[in-house]
Amino acid sequence: MGRYAIRRLLQLVPVVLGTTFIINYMVWQLPGDPFAGRCGQRPCPDSYITAMREQFGLDQPILVQYWNFLKNLLTGNFGTDFNGVSVATQLGDAWPITIRLALMAVAFEAIIGIGAGVLSGLKRGGFVDNVVTVSTLVLLSLPIFVTGYLLQWILGVQLHIIEPTVSDAATVPELIVPALVLASLNMAFTARLTRTSIVENLRADYVRTAVAKGLSNRRVVAIHLLRNSLIPVLTFLGTEVGSLMSGAIITEGIFNIHGIGGLLWRAINGQDYTIVVPVATLLVLVYLVSNLLVDLLYGVLDPRIRYE
Amino acid sequence: MTEVLSEQMGRGSHGGALLEVDNLHVEFRTRAGVAKAVNGVTYSVDAGETLAVLGESGSGKSVTAQTIMGILDMPPGKITGGEIRFRGVDLLKLPDDQRRKIRGEGISMVFQDALSALNPVFPVGWQIAEMFRMHRGTSRADAKKMAVELMDRVRIPAAKERVNDFPHQFSGGMRQRIMIAMAIALDPEILIADEPTTALDVTVQAQIMGLLAELQRDSNMGLILITHDLGVVADVADKIAVMYGGRIVENAPVHDLYRDPAHPYSKGLLESIPRVDQKGQELYAIKGLPPNLLEMPTGCAFHPRCPYRRDNCVTDVPPLYTISGTRGSACHYWREVIDEGER
Repeated sequence: MGRYAIRRLLQLVPVVLGTTFIINYMVWQLPGDPFAGRCGQRPCPDSYITAMREQFGLDQPILVQYWNFLKNLLTGNFGTDFNGVSVATQLGDAWPITIRLALMAVAFEAIIGIGAGVLSGLKRGGFVDNVVTVSTLVLLSLPIFVTGYLLQWILGVQLHIIEPTVSDAATVPELIVPALVLASLNMAFTARLTRTSIVENLRADYVRTAVAKGLSNRRVVAIHLLRNSLIPVLTFLGTEVGSLMSGAIITEGIFNIHGIGGLLWRAINGQDYTIVVPVATLLVLVYLVSNLLVDLLYGVLDPRIRYE
Repeated sequence: MTEVLSEQMGRGSHGGALLEVDNLHVEFRTRAGVAKAVNGVTYSVDAGETLAVLGESGSGKSVTAQTIMGILDMPPGKITGGEIRFRGVDLLKLPDDQRRKIRGEGISMVFQDALSALNPVFPVGWQIAEMFRMHRGTSRADAKKMAVELMDRVRIPAAKERVNDFPHQFSGGMRQRIMIAMAIALDPEILIADEPTTALDVTVQAQIMGLLAELQRDSNMGLILITHDLGVVADVADKIAVMYGGRIVENAPVHDLYRDPAHPYSKGLLESIPRVDQKGQELYAIKGLPPNLLEMPTGCAFHPRCPYRRDNCVTDVPPLYTISGTRGSACHYWREVIDEGER
């Protein structure tokens, strides 16, 4: 297991190098000069553009630029954006908010999704099952931005239960509705996955054995059935943490949350690639690390998976 | 077991055998129709006795066993009649919690495929220990020690080192031993073994059968051995019940049945065992296919495949004719079958 973990960690190195190179290369190859539009109504003077290009190293060959990026990444020196504001400070402000939002969303996915899935799977064809099937279908067929604007309008604008937008502090209570919106698709999928898994395992021989052992219904379900049924569900939840982070961009836009989603959104529109590159790199890292953790967790959950 | 229950179910306080299945009827209600899986099965097992229940797939032998254990899937299964008396008390009328206590403590079961019957994500020792922890309230540490003792008793080598291994780390025979250890953990009075050796290779089969016989002798359990393999039962069983189409077609002490079967189906089964002295000859096979449970043949369920068939076999369901004290055959022409002897 330990050796497997180290091997997997080493495998991350080329992946990180490859993805970050592509991010760097593609971002600076985008059409349009990032400095050309920075002088109000008139075109920027060539001297300004040349000076800026020099300052941000854009006159260097792409490989040298990439080398500098890696050096800065490892030393934690992200420099400043085009406006001279420290990139690290902006990331430091935005990152915790997005993490909070994403963790809340994962919690909702796990608690509500698994709970609903278990209840509907155990009583297939019952009332709860029908409610869960229909409501997950609705959630799955609505894109996040529809769910988001709808909830914002109904709960915030019409009913005044919540503030339509989130304050700069982005406290936990304020983030409940945005986190639900962010979680909605995965939550519905988790519920369906759990239900299928429960229904499948309910008929398994080892569940019959557990009943034949004279165990109580509660123990058969909570220990023998759940432990097996949740393996694919936890795997799904883990791999989706990364995509949740990127899904946060839309949710943060709707509710005006100052997380990395908003930061990335403004940076892309302003063609400020000094922000885009580190944020995209962080998202890649989160994605890779969460996937690695899921793979390791899988070995813990299912003893039949052996790593040598 | 609760005080009241054990008193009311005290051994010997009733006339019959330890476990009696009496005129049991079980159906499966499916979309395609009603499948009559068990149609009036009656058999009994006493302490220290081994009953072999013989029959091909779909004969109702496993469904009967599952009904005794109370692990039949209902729905689609439905018990439509009969009684299952354990120490004189009808299990089918007991409330769920009392029924649950009998499982494992009074009646236990070993399944065919131990790999799928054991929980893949828990260590085998933990699964055995669970019996003590849940039924007796034994502490984790003590229960684990008892699990090791049981693994020793079913002769799993290096039990102490292997107690934390998972089912997939054991061979088929060892897994079945673990299954057996779990089933006998609480010294049940009845052990039901549902095709315990079918998934194993021949040498291991013999070892497992030997182990079951030995455990039964030691603790004086009643053993119900469900199988479709006549070769397996000859050495261990005291009596045999042959099932066909959800009915018992022949009931006999084991040697009587082997010597002169009294039902054309049992006779067919015996004749289809390969024998060394018939090397080179074509192997006998019973013609036709097992009956479709959704559309049972009229009269005797075996009549479409029976070489002794007469007209009344198609219309009249044969009762279980008594041949002698403990023998019975559900064939109108059982005399002829016995008299004719070997074909």
